[in-house]
Amino acid sequence: MTSAPGVDARIETYLNRLESAMRGVSVESKEDILREIRAHIMDSAEHSSDRAGAVDRVLRLLGTPEELASRYSAECQLERASRSFSPWVILRTCWQWAKLGIKGTLAFLVALFGYGMALGFTVAVFLKPFMPSKIGWWSGPEGVGIIVPDHPELMHEWLGNYFVPVIAAAAFLAAIATTHILRWMMRKRAPGLTVPVAEFGPAVEIQTPPAVKVRS
Amino acid sequence: MTNNANGDRGQHWEAQLRKGCLEMAILASLWQSRLYGLEILRALSEKSQLEVAEGTLYPILSRLKTEGLLDSEWVEAEAGHPRKYYWLTASGRRRAREMAGAWHEFAGRLSVLVQPIMGGR
Repeated sequence: MTSAPGVDARIETYLNRLESAMRGVSVESKEDILREIRAHIMDSAEHSSDRAGAVDRVLRLLGTPEELASRYSAECQLERASRSFSPWVILRTCWQWAKLGIKGTLAFLVALFGYGMALGFTVAVFLKPFMPSKIGWWSGPEGVGIIVPDHPELMHEWLGNYFVPVIAAAAFLAAIATTHILRWMMRKRAPGLTVPVAEFGPAVEIQTPPAVKVRS
Repeated sequence: MTNNANGDRGQHWEAQLRKGCLEMAILASLWQSRLYGLEILRALSEKSQLEVAEGTLYPILSRLKTEGLLDSEWVEAEAGHPRKYYWLTASGRRRAREMAGAWHEFAGRLSVLVQPIMGGR
């Protein structure tokens, strides 16, 4: 049986690793989370005759500190991104979300397409004054595009001097629409999405202490 | 297809079902009283055999609180250490009622559909 100091050291190591691994979580929330996890470990172990075994069991059920931290971080980042208008914050969050499942992957693809289109349009707007004959809204047998085609004689440029204002507006609208779609997807996300489905499978043992009288 | 493949798929389906119901189950566990994390786990386990790992529950409680469905408070116990108690806000009670209604209706309709299967056991 492990000695009490050894058990306490394991708890402290776990909590220290959890604290270090939580990124994007406010200091206040971090302190609250650590306090709650500590209380949970204490609760789970204090009524057990084998304290070391009980602590080992609860640490196993909590998952590694890094796994647990990633869930808190993902929830915090998604919550913050769902209220943000920053494409960079939203894109970065979608990348993290994509690692967690299909909805996240879909959101990341939407982000790549929408923000990629907005970026492409913006670059074209800035290049137009320097390359007036090569940048335009071309269409014809070779398709549609904004860079001069291989056979310009077969293509028609539609926007002329209106290219800059029209494409600038299109870039703005693409960015705004993508942002709103992704914010909506984040708000509509399922609870517990940061948890793999496999964790809802076979039953695990839960050891609970007897009810404790509470002073309000 | 082998029995094993069927079994794995069945377990995965059941796990997905449990995951999908988790928010409702957590809100329902808090319907009658304030509970702290371990008590919520115990309620889920004892009342619905919904076994949830600790590492799963706490981030979800945190999110439900951020959404305004739950509120919480640290309470000093006479013996031991403080515990963080959760309870449903008005918005949480509204959401729980809506989810319970939808679940009841959905389960009732599916029950009719699966009745012949269960009867054939």
